[in-house]
Amino acid sequence: MIATEIYPQMTEAIVAGDQDAARRLAEDAVRAGLDLVQVIEQGYVPGLQKVGELWEQGEYFLPELISSAEAMKGAMTVLEPALNRQAARAVMGGRVVIGTVEGDIHDIGKNLVASMLQAGGFEVFDLGADVKMERFIDKAEEVGARMICLSALLTTTMMNQRRLIGLLRDRGLRDKYKVLVGGAPATRKWAEEIGADGFAENAVAAVKLAKALSGRG
Amino acid sequence: MSPSLLELVRTRPVLLDGGLGTELMARGLEPGVPPELWNVERPEAVREIHAAYFEAGSDAVSTNSFGATPLKLAAHGLEARAFELNRAAARLAREAAPPGRFVAGSMGPTGKFLKPQGPAAGEDLVAAFAEQARGLAEGGVDVFLIETQYDLREALAALRGVRTVSPLPVFVTMTFNVFPRGYFTIMGNPAAQVAAELEKAGAAAVGANCTLTTEQMAGCVAAMRAATTLPVIAQANAGQPAVGADGAVRYAQSTEDYVRFVPDLIRAGAGFVGGCCGTTPATIRAMARAIGKEDQA
Repeated sequence: MIATEIYPQMTEAIVAGDQDAARRLAEDAVRAGLDLVQVIEQGYVPGLQKVGELWEQGEYFLPELISSAEAMKGAMTVLEPALNRQAARAVMGGRVVIGTVEGDIHDIGKNLVASMLQAGGFEVFDLGADVKMERFIDKAEEVGARMICLSALLTTTMMNQRRLIGLLRDRGLRDKYKVLVGGAPATRKWAEEIGADGFAENAVAAVKLAKALSGRG
Repeated sequence: MSPSLLELVRTRPVLLDGGLGTELMARGLEPGVPPELWNVERPEAVREIHAAYFEAGSDAVSTNSFGATPLKLAAHGLEARAFELNRAAARLAREAAPPGRFVAGSMGPTGKFLKPQGPAAGEDLVAAFAEQARGLAEGGVDVFLIETQYDLREALAALRGVRTVSPLPVFVTMTFNVFPRGYFTIMGNPAAQVAAELEKAGAAAVGANCTLTTEQMAGCVAAMRAATTLPVIAQANAGQPAVGADGAVRYAQSTEDYVRFVPDLIRAGAGFVGGCCGTTPATIRAMARAIGKEDQA
């Protein structure tokens, strides 16, 4: 098998949201003994990048985005066990704790970001919706995460994004975590004002930001 | 007999109401409490808001039932009370309505994605909307307003659900984003297709609400106008929410700026106009002036 032939097929499988093809190609790559880090970085990741571009241009919408994320996850479930630990660290993004803040039950956007982060190689701990702010920190401490992502869809509950930063400070943990905020009422200005590490407008931007903040951008 | 809402819209622009959730919060609704609970716990507050909109010039107000499908209420363990909360919502608006004014039964999205993007099956959504519509009909709504929908399949399921329990007119609004290629829902449904398919499915009026400002919405109205013979509804947001230096939340578009583009909405073909997030009775009062309703009153 020649890598230069299989990489474009992998890219295409992600762009088409074809989970069966994405898995099959991953199995082929494992069997053929290809360098799996390169397979991920040169075969699959360009597909996700292309999907992000199509989404930003208004050519792709949520159904396509979800299909592509699922295809990527399918490929990763095949590739991950076959990667050695050192290689896995090089391509995987580390652990992320995510959830919708206390008092807020909206979870569509948060689910999408969680899904895209997972597709982007992060190990995602999704706490769900209406999550007590203390729990974000407890979970991050427990699993050794480096990043906490907070979704808020209401102008009232977005105040809890600010509160989390305060709680981290109180516990002397502020510098240990990157805090990302998102949701309809959140803005870059809001993120700056509350001292968060970043803001993303949508799920595609969230993955870019998370990668940049974890030194994979 | 006074004219129905659909007869009225053939003679002049009809004014709907504005934001409800923000008005409830201004009266002390705490984050995390489902607004519909106030239909039974703080009925006087809900009635007062409806009355304020009627007083400002609304021809019709929408009930405090946006999140009251059993599927959505389940997040608060209130799914068994859907019928009761919807009936109460309709009754409160009815009580506040002066003679000759109207009540629209608000029905928002369930928040569940349909398969394959999510876990929901079409028939589950139909059943959930039917249960909500049963309560709203019992409480005395004049029309149903299925609103802020983002998946045409869910909007159609809601329409089917209403039809299983009531013959009353059904209005449907969906929420669109603007792209270089036009106006689309997050699921990728284009505005023109939405208007045409909802008409085919038996809606009595179709339109756009939320997300877009009045300035952005005129193009969306025009796209829908060209694709349907039905009256078109426009209920724009007052921009996006922003937090001020004092910690208070404001919407970016001022009342003056919001109202300035309302005549454009009507020129683009909107028959029903009203507000959405960030709008208040003061916005509606200014809109009434802008569309010349005062002169006709």
